[in-house]
Amino acid sequence: MNVTINRLAPLMLGAILLAGCAKPPAEQIDAAEKALKEAQMSGAATYTAQEYAKLEASLTAMKKEVTDQDGKFALFRDYGKAEQLAASAKADGERVKADAVKKKEEAKAGALQAQQVAQEAVKSAVELVAGAPVGKDRAALEAIKNDVEALKASLNQIQLAIDKEDYPAAQTQAKAIHDKGQAVSAELQNALAKVGKGKPSAHKKK
Amino acid sequence: MSTFSVRNGLIALAQGFFLAGALSACVQAIPPELVSAIDRIDQQLVALKAPEIAPEEYARFVRQWVPLRARVQSDDDLVRWPWETNDLETELRRLHEEGGSTLAKLHDERQAQQHRAQLNVLRVEERLRALSSQIDAIDGRIVLGGKPVQTDLLVKQARSFYDQHDYQRSIDAADLAGKALRVQSALLARELGRYADEQHIRSWQAMAQQAIEWSRTHRSTAIVVSKAERILTLYKNGNKVVSYPVRLGFNGIREKQFQGDGATPEGRYRITDKRGAGRTQFYRALVLDYPNQDDRRRFVQGKKMGRIPAAKQIGGQIEIHGVENELMAQTLGCVMLDNVQMSALFERVEPGSVVSIVGALTGRNAVATALAQLGEHGEET
Repeated sequence: MNVTINRLAPLMLGAILLAGCAKPPAEQIDAAEKALKEAQMSGAATYTAQEYAKLEASLTAMKKEVTDQDGKFALFRDYGKAEQLAASAKADGERVKADAVKKKEEAKAGALQAQQVAQEAVKSAVELVAGAPVGKDRAALEAIKNDVEALKASLNQIQLAIDKEDYPAAQTQAKAIHDKGQAVSAELQNALAKVGKGKPSAHKKK
Repeated sequence: MSTFSVRNGLIALAQGFFLAGALSACVQAIPPELVSAIDRIDQQLVALKAPEIAPEEYARFVRQWVPLRARVQSDDDLVRWPWETNDLETELRRLHEEGGSTLAKLHDERQAQQHRAQLNVLRVEERLRALSSQIDAIDGRIVLGGKPVQTDLLVKQARSFYDQHDYQRSIDAADLAGKALRVQSALLARELGRYADEQHIRSWQAMAQQAIEWSRTHRSTAIVVSKAERILTLYKNGNKVVSYPVRLGFNGIREKQFQGDGATPEGRYRITDKRGAGRTQFYRALVLDYPNQDDRRRFVQGKKMGRIPAAKQIGGQIEIHGVENELMAQTLGCVMLDNVQMSALFERVEPGSVVSIVGALTGRNAVATALAQLGEHGEET
């Protein structure tokens, strides 16, 4: 009997020591943190703000679990739950990143489309101004020309917002420019309709 | 039945009662309605856009909610003795209370922000309408260049952000629009402030009086044109004969500086020629001696001071004339009358007659009134 215990004791000690050597799942934690970072870089805080906040909270919970286990006596440490939380956070991070990328692309596409529509509205107004008659009859169009020039200049603001990846702002600016461009074109067409009924004038000093 | 078996039977019964009592006294770990209530708070926070408008508050909430919910799920089948304390439930109740407070606070803040955004948008929209109306009334649109469009775009953006429930951006855009409106008002005041300046008014009154005196002393006709009121008045022998409404250059409210600026000159002129049918495209025309000596002096000085670009010419061919195209409202710098009135005027004046074109004849002229109203609105914005 004594012989048996003597033989088993080192084995049991070894098993206990082995269990006591439980370490935090560093690789999984790094992977989860990397997933969070990548989600953040993809614009998740803007485009999937709710999911991103929950992802951050998951990582905080995971870190707390690791800290809790670290604080225990070595033999009682169990990082199984932390590992599970890390794996879950990693998967969530990848999903949040994918969602953010998708939503960002949709916002970008929306902004680019709105930019194109605004550019067309301004182009149309520019062409109407260019086609306005020269001479005295052009006088009533002077103020509208200023408006069209201002609209042309404002197109840069859309591009600036797109460059900054502020797609909601770009889209809103583009819509405002489009609406104003159409209003100016309508005003211009009215003015041209009036002018069209008069004779063209000779150029004179004034 | 022996005493022993009766006793054993009673013990077994007591044990059975005890077990049944104990089991029925066991409670479920977490009331499901508490979890649902916190879940609803989370949903309401999301609906309020808390992750975007109050990321720190929302993060604080979810930092607690996410691990607690995980614990709820893992403790789902757990039952406790009634005397056992339940930390999880305590923490959930605390989060429920805290989340409820956060929700109420954010709700109030959101309401206040929406109200502020709504007021700001309405204010700048109203201010833009008033400014546009005043500017149109005094033909001052061209004075502002591209600024009205820039302001209009900001006002449109403020409205658009408001409609998208992005109240902070709406407020920001409305603030920018408010500033742009104040800049426009200031620019108008700077460019047209002379219409409200007593010294200028006195000087113009003196110019008009000189023309009337000239008419009296020379037993002739003289014309006074007030740009602010768009009125031409004919005098004969120093007496007022008739007044007609006129149209000016497309930039007529300004003082003429160079050729092509669309402004109508101010000064004392003479009629140098009368152009009847066949000699003008504008029905009838009274040609003025613009530029006179004063105009030339001002032009040279303006170039020296850099107010007038070096390549610009002084211009000429300023006339009082009739209408070529009835639908055209403005000229390139002349004074235009309807043809019936032009015909009457044409018959009454002769070459050599004095024509004084002034900004305004009273301090309470249309431009000064518009500027004063813009100033009042500007303070409100």
